[in-house]
Amino acid sequence: MAAETTPLLEAQDLSAFYGRVHALKPTSLTVGEGELVTVLGPNGAGKTTMLRAMTRLTPASGRIFFKGRDITALATHDRARAGIIMVQEGRGLFGQMTVHENLTLGAYTMDASETVEERIASVFTLFPRLKERYEQIASSLSGGEQQMLAIGRALMAKPKLLMLDEPSLGLAPRVASEILETLGQLNRQGLGILLVEQKAPLALRLAKRVYILSLGGIVAELPANEIKSHHDLSRYYLH
Amino acid sequence: MVDMTQLLQSLVNGVGVGLIYGLVGIGFCVIYNASGIVNFAQGVFVMLGGMVCHTLLTRLGLPIYLAAILTIPIVALSGILIEIAVVRPMWNRGAALFAIILATLATQLMIERITILTLGDQPRSFDEFTSGGPLKIGDIAIGYQIFWILGCGALMVGLLWLFFTRTTAGRALRACSQNREAAALLGIPVSRMLMLSFALSAALGAVAGILVTPTQVTAYNVGTPFGVNGFIAAIIGGFGSAAGALAGGVLLGVLQAVAIVMFGAGFKNVAALSVLLLVLFIFPAGIFAGLQGGKAH
Ligand SMILES: Nc1ncnc2c1ncn2[C@@H]1O[C@H](COP(=O)(O)OP(=O)(O)OP(=O)(O)O)[C@@H](O)[C@H]1O
Ligand SMILES: [Mg+2]
Repeated sequence: MAAETTPLLEAQDLSAFYGRVHALKPTSLTVGEGELVTVLGPNGAGKTTMLRAMTRLTPASGRIFFKGRDITALATHDRARAGIIMVQEGRGLFGQMTVHENLTLGAYTMDASETVEERIASVFTLFPRLKERYEQIASSLSGGEQQMLAIGRALMAKPKLLMLDEPSLGLAPRVASEILETLGQLNRQGLGILLVEQKAPLALRLAKRVYILSLGGIVAELPANEIKSHHDLSRYYLH
Repeated sequence: MVDMTQLLQSLVNGVGVGLIYGLVGIGFCVIYNASGIVNFAQGVFVMLGGMVCHTLLTRLGLPIYLAAILTIPIVALSGILIEIAVVRPMWNRGAALFAIILATLATQLMIERITILTLGDQPRSFDEFTSGGPLKIGDIAIGYQIFWILGCGALMVGLLWLFFTRTTAGRALRACSQNREAAALLGIPVSRMLMLSFALSAALGAVAGILVTPTQVTAYNVGTPFGVNGFIAAIIGGFGSAAGALAGGVLLGVLQAVAIVMFGAGFKNVAALSVLLLVLFIFPAGIFAGLQGGKAH
């Protein structure tokens, strides 16, 4: 029998309000070491709110643990420093800065074990298209390239947990699958990933575990392969 | 008929004081871009620059270069204090920006009172950095101090450019100005960056105050006119680039000088405000942003 190990991330009863709107009802979720977990939910379900609560961009009640350590009191930038990096919905690039500057800023929390240029080089192996756009202003990139830059910039920080808010939103299916493939590859190298999507057969192929978020709360947690056998869920999330 | 010599003379003086407005304007931009706050205590840094430098010169008998160089960190510290004591508590509680902006205005009044109580209300000045002026070109006299203003102004813009493009802290500050949330998500401590922007902005004000004092006087209440004119310079420049604010300042300084010659001293502020309104009507995002077709920030 496998011993119970400490999860990478453990959120307990996270709950958030926008004014009087209870956008996130007490929600608990875990991501294991090296696990890729997917959260699915329709528009307005509270997916973004949940990620904002986890990074403390939005104030929330509840507790949150990272590698067993209580990080509830940490500010956004200290959670990043601890190893939680989020790629925001809409990508959150520094639009008037170049690809190179965006990537360099991603290494803000970096220790001295590697140089920034070395790490940029490894991002370019992952996303060769960024290399050709090196000196280009981020806002002039195509949607797919912007998403690659956002992920590349997040990787510059060497995160232990990468959280992504609808990375395939607005992308052509081929580009989206290319990006999700890369995420799968990163996960196989041991990176913990929390992937939020609306509907995503692709994301389900990568994940072992899925949470379903609806109307501001988690309504189901199940192994990814069970979604197919679940009539209502598969109808909604796989097509 | 306006005397040509007099006009040219006023142009020269206008450029000098305009560069000072420009430096103050850059100070406004640095804080505004990092936080969205318009720091109405900006003029106070100019006043403190002159007053602290004068105090170091007269009470400690320091040479001007030493006094000037010591004044800059002292005034920068006052900027940090304002950030810690006034801005941060409100910012952390999620106060509305306009409330924070009002608080900076109140801070200006308080610092002026403290200055009267500690240093008195008498205007004071000190000598130009280089004695022996002015330089005469025909009938036009150009004080040596204007060369110091030009040189130091250029130096400040150069240093700022290096800071914002070549250093981690400078890049992080720009990142905050473009997307504070994304910056925080990368581990950039946004509130510490806000403190840095106040220090930087205060240092710029101090440089302006030290440079301008020999050409006029400083007193507890010079902050407001410099603040207002610096603010106008920043708006003309589009509240974006340092060069825009500097150019806006020179434009303003020259127009004011010309207005004084043509219509009398009472028209100085009329000119400044007319320019402001005109610019805002024609280029709502500032002349320089307007000409580039770019955004204000
Ligand atoms: N800043 C805000 N102020 C008020 N209500 C908000 C705010 N942001 C989100 N909400 C509300 O909270 C609920 C959850 O929004 P959230 O953005 O978390 O949903 P989502 O699952 O990410 O949706 P989408 O798939 O469209 O991105 C929605 O009803 C939304 O209208
Ligand atoms: Mg969302």
